[in-house]
Amino acid sequence: MRQLGKVQISTWVYLLFGCLLAVVPFVYDNLSMLFLIIQIFIFGIFAMSYDLLLGYTGIVSFGHAMFFGVGAYGVSIVLERNEPTLFFLILGILVALGAAAIISFIAGVLTLRLKSHFYAMLTLALAGLFLVAAEKMRSLTGGSDGLIFTIPDFFKDRTNMYLLALISLVVIFFSLRRLTNSPLGRVLVAIRENEQRTMSLGYKIFPYKVIISVISGVVAAFGGVLYALSIRFIDTTVFAVDVTLDALLMTIIGGVGTLIGPIIGAGLIEYAHHFLSELSDVHWIFERWIILFGIVYILVVIFFPMGIAGSIKNMYMKRKHKKEAKVQQKDNQIAS
Amino acid sequence: MDLIFSLTLNGLATGMLFFLLAAGLTLIFGLMDVLNFAHGGLFAWGAFTGVWIYGLSGNFFVGILGAIVAGLVLGAITEYLIIKPVYGNHIQQILITLGFMLVLTEMLKVVYGPNQRAAQPPEYLDGSFTIGDVTIIKYRLFIILMGIIIFALTSYVLKKTKIGLIVRAGVMNKEMVQALGINIRLIFLAVFMVGSAMAALGGFLFAPYSGVIYAEIGLDYGIFAFIVVVIGGMGSLSGSLMAALLVGLAQAYMQYYVPSLALAVNMLLMAAVLLFRPQGLFSVKGVSTK
Repeated sequence: MRQLGKVQISTWVYLLFGCLLAVVPFVYDNLSMLFLIIQIFIFGIFAMSYDLLLGYTGIVSFGHAMFFGVGAYGVSIVLERNEPTLFFLILGILVALGAAAIISFIAGVLTLRLKSHFYAMLTLALAGLFLVAAEKMRSLTGGSDGLIFTIPDFFKDRTNMYLLALISLVVIFFSLRRLTNSPLGRVLVAIRENEQRTMSLGYKIFPYKVIISVISGVVAAFGGVLYALSIRFIDTTVFAVDVTLDALLMTIIGGVGTLIGPIIGAGLIEYAHHFLSELSDVHWIFERWIILFGIVYILVVIFFPMGIAGSIKNMYMKRKHKKEAKVQQKDNQIAS
Repeated sequence: MDLIFSLTLNGLATGMLFFLLAAGLTLIFGLMDVLNFAHGGLFAWGAFTGVWIYGLSGNFFVGILGAIVAGLVLGAITEYLIIKPVYGNHIQQILITLGFMLVLTEMLKVVYGPNQRAAQPPEYLDGSFTIGDVTIIKYRLFIILMGIIIFALTSYVLKKTKIGLIVRAGVMNKEMVQALGINIRLIFLAVFMVGSAMAALGGFLFAPYSGVIYAEIGLDYGIFAFIVVVIGGMGSLSGSLMAALLVGLAQAYMQYYVPSLALAVNMLLMAAVLLFRPQGLFSVKGVSTK
């Protein structure tokens, strides 16, 4: 709490950004652009949930798409079978989040004891199972044809959807920031840095990992809920490996362990995806835009493991240390 | 009888392809503690390059040679550019090899075009013959034979030669091997290249077997290779062979009887092995399963 002044400044900056973004739909009324920004918000939420695992706890999951998909399907199935009223919308969201919580708990208890390689593979396998299940359970999920459903009229308006996504992003961002600054978050970082040492300090690692994987799963499912609501259609691609890969690229390029990084990454990648795909008429290489990101991603992993946000933060910290050192030097000179 | 025989033959052929993919993976992991998520990409590159050269030259065995050379070259590049900077850091290894997998798959589309390609076995391997009332498809038999030859060759090199001795010792304890004055990095590069070449060869043999290849086979079959390695145990060549045949047979039978569960069964098999026997069913004694 002693650093209240410092924390407040960054909080105000983020809030200001949030307010600026909230004005956007009233000034700039371009439907496809708004849709793109909504997608950025949604994937920002999803990538933040991934960052909780990768950046704060040091767990690599290749199956994060399963929570995204469970969230998306949860709300879609409830809305498809009932009247599109606010009550059923909320019920659908609760069902989606509840299902994600249960699934992430079971999956976490079963898999989190494994070492990183095995965990990555097993989560990949689990997400694969969900994809197969979604394709086979046609009566429930519509199979590969997908589900079309209606949502309450209020959210059909794109501006309202935009505001819903933005408010969700801001609220989740601040709650997760609070969470990662809490004692729980500190233990998670300790686990990332050195599991054995954390264990010898008397912390049981396993329950912490399960807790964070449940939180991460629920947040990811909420991202999936918003995704389904924003396109009002859903098919099995939400369980695809690509969804997890997107989150991974966003988190790594934006900056692991920063929370704001994944949002920046989501913005960059969704934007690039949109515009480079449009450029494919100019030259076919732009259709293969993922190559570019793959290469950037590899370079980031080797040379800037902190990503964009982390590198900026590092630079800022270094400069501050230098200044402090200079001030100290001057003080010493004056004193002598 | 005919049905069971044909399914078994099919399963064994698929299993051999899985084995070619998994063998490199398991040795690389056992020796250097590196899990290469880009391994499937080499499989796809082998398939496309081999088919291209086979089309150019008209000779199937030149195609095989081309695939092997492509595997060796790509393996060397992968080891040097991608794996070397991240030795010893598991999380970075997982992240970077996965990124390389993306690049490999997309590069494949750039070089060979985004469309899928058809592939035919050469005439002397095409068609089938019958013994009694059992029909045998020649090309499947050929794949099984190739698998056996490769397995025998690798086992011979591993068990009877000096290099094999070093590799096996490295799998057991690489620090000790290094302390004895052997450049384990060089050995690892060689193993990596050979493993990649095996994956590429597997890819090329796969092409006429399935009849059509596409860029995403790398990811699809890469997952099977992992399943095989996990079931067979990390670092064990014969374990990989057993597991590959098991997975191949399970795949073939399930695809016939319960096609919707074919993939799920293998995934469940892997999940069960990971949960109850994470060191694998046929693991090598003394290999750390950290």
